[in-house]
Amino acid sequence: MKWLTTFFLVACFLAPQKNNGEALPGKLPHARVNSAGMAGIPAGTYHCFLRRKDQPATVKVHAFLLDVNAVTNGEFLEFVKANPGWARSKVSHLFADAGYLKQWAGDYEIGNDKIKNSPVTNVSWFAANAYAKWKGKRLPTLAEWEYAAAAAPKGMAQGARLTRIILAWYDHPNPVDLPRVRSTYQNTYGLYDMHGLIWEWVQDFNSVIIQGDSNSGGTNVSSFTCAAGSLNSANKEDYAAFMRFAFRQGLQARYTIQSLGFRCAKDY
Amino acid sequence: MKTHIILLGIATALLVSCQRKAAIKSGPCCAKDEAALRAGISNDAEAGNSIYQLQGVWTDQHQKQLTLSKLKGRPQIVAMIFTHCTSVCPRIVEQMKAIRDSLPASIRKNVGGVLVSFDPQRDTPAQLSMFAAQRQLDDQWELLKGNDDQVRELSMALNVKYQKLAGGQYSHSGNIYILDKQGNIAAAVDGLSGSVHNADKVLARLVQR
Repeated sequence: MKWLTTFFLVACFLAPQKNNGEALPGKLPHARVNSAGMAGIPAGTYHCFLRRKDQPATVKVHAFLLDVNAVTNGEFLEFVKANPGWARSKVSHLFADAGYLKQWAGDYEIGNDKIKNSPVTNVSWFAANAYAKWKGKRLPTLAEWEYAAAAAPKGMAQGARLTRIILAWYDHPNPVDLPRVRSTYQNTYGLYDMHGLIWEWVQDFNSVIIQGDSNSGGTNVSSFTCAAGSLNSANKEDYAAFMRFAFRQGLQARYTIQSLGFRCAKDY
Repeated sequence: MKTHIILLGIATALLVSCQRKAAIKSGPCCAKDEAALRAGISNDAEAGNSIYQLQGVWTDQHQKQLTLSKLKGRPQIVAMIFTHCTSVCPRIVEQMKAIRDSLPASIRKNVGGVLVSFDPQRDTPAQLSMFAAQRQLDDQWELLKGNDDQVRELSMALNVKYQKLAGGQYSHSGNIYILDKQGNIAAAVDGLSGSVHNADKVLARLVQR
């Protein structure tokens, strides 16, 4: 039961509120994709599903650029070649655990042509962060990622269909060789595979604070008392978000996971 | 259906946490790496889990600029705080002082204290210096400020969770970390428990190692 409580406390932290008339991603003008493979995400308001008393009801998301697809094994190989300190046998244990790039054949060799254009996974937050810096980019914030990922698939109605994609994916284990990027759906911002292919690192995933932590800086999480009430009103999309938050709160920056990759962002 | 999804979510979370033992709580895991360090091996793969591998220049309460690796050479008691915190941070700092004060003088002089600010905007060197005076922190303490990137990276390395809130406050986890001479985490102590736990014994061992 304690787990249940914790779970919902986490989940209500920043879950997107979809059915709010203004700034629906689907209604915004068509986003442009630039030559660097990044889509322009227009500024907007990210609605917190539930919040603490000291938090704003909404988070302002400034216009930003986001990679159209997740970073691939092939692209990450270029990074490792240019930065040998990030090779599998050389990376510090502080920055990545033992599973780092375990799908590769060697330090500078993927060894499996089928996954060259698949998202790179088994990369730690530190590795993803270093790659982004090397590219002159950064990781998206949690709010930016959730905001961009809430956009409807192109040509589909906002809402139900996206939820179905997400929940169907949650229900099925990933294949051994991950499908290539751009193999699921494209959303109205021009972004591919925001759901349905991998989980993605965000810059501030460790901003999800749960009750299990020893404290929360005087603004204790127990002020989340409204969380239980949300069970009745929450829709299925919120559950999909709950799962992402539950996943994030279990992570540490050095972890590497078979279904966890990343894409980069940049200020507009 | 609802229950199904909830359970699946919990399972996901549990799966992650079960696969990965909390590295933070244990020290013995790092023995091999420490041995490598003592042997003077500088190969990156042998650098272990030392947080002193983090790059970036910090500024202390005396306006001095330093990298974390400058803290090497003696055990350190470390926590992340912000000086405008009115609730838990003062308690964390008091507990860090209590840990240091619990040590015999001969050991205490070889143990440093480090406070790293979440709040680069307001925690200027002058503010940090004033805070040190208010809290009666002697010259064995380093109070550090960096930029947002550095703070985020350090929080990741220490597994500290934090979020900036409206009104300039920060919500954060409150552990105190005991680092060995090379910057590996040797122990983590709940900064709000009001107890020294066995931090004094850990430090005595680390000093003599």
